[in-house]
Amino acid sequence: MADVTESKITDEHRAMIGQRSDPIEVVPHTEDAQRMRDLLGDTDPRWADGTGIAPPYILAMLEPRLPAELSPQVLSSGILTQTEWKFSQPIKLEEPLQAVTQLIDVRDRLGGRYGYSVLVMFQTSYLNGDGEEAAASLRTITQFDRPES
Amino acid sequence: MSQRYFEDIATDDELEPREQLPTEDKAVEFFGRDNPTNPAFGDAEAGRRMGFGGALVPGLLKLSWITNYVGMWAGSEANLRSVRVAFRRPDIAGRPLTLAGRVVDKRQEDGVNVVELEVVTLADDQPTVRGNVQVEIPSRP
Repeated sequence: MADVTESKITDEHRAMIGQRSDPIEVVPHTEDAQRMRDLLGDTDPRWADGTGIAPPYILAMLEPRLPAELSPQVLSSGILTQTEWKFSQPIKLEEPLQAVTQLIDVRDRLGGRYGYSVLVMFQTSYLNGDGEEAAASLRTITQFDRPES
Repeated sequence: MSQRYFEDIATDDELEPREQLPTEDKAVEFFGRDNPTNPAFGDAEAGRRMGFGGALVPGLLKLSWITNYVGMWAGSEANLRSVRVAFRRPDIAGRPLTLAGRVVDKRQEDGVNVVELEVVTLADDQPTVRGNVQVEIPSRP
């Protein structure tokens, strides 16, 4: 892998930071919650049948694809390396949420297992019917160039 | 599930490890059989074509296991604030995973009891996911 001493992040890439997607409606479905609870063996009474509340990991079903128009392509390949979920309010089953994704940072990473790589960070906010954030997810994609074979 | 209280928790307390056996079937079932996912989650051959040793275990399934693991430890009166994980290396279906965790901090923030934990998934004793979880834990009544 060639040594990289200068950033490959351009002003054009940096200009994308802060851009947001249009809202996408996502719905936490009861059948998804039931299936996931059963698979995980979750017996927490807060999101048992009849409560109308989704378990927090319902976010796994809601996360929208990262919008291509918000994704700077600095290097040729990318892999999800970090995820964070934040919870502000209970997520109600069958209540639509508006998911808005924002590019929050693009930065160089020197060294590590990928050699020179670029971290691209996105935040998706899940807004309830009152426009309040019920939850958020932060995803970091590590971009790298595949070694030539 | 039993309830844990802030006064009874100490830094360096360890969570009882829990073993999980990820399979291709669980990966497909997790997302729902009618929902398209990465073919490498349910098909060992697809995983091998991508350069892995078999079917991949979805990161979101591991994140959900960690979320549930800490939630069950804390009890139903606790509130999960955040779960942050770094995927260190891929996990392959059929290889058992052990979830382990320990308390790394406890503090009060604006009158709220906050406990912070480090959690890992281990395959062959090597960490594959490392996580930090913040949870609000009630005081003993």
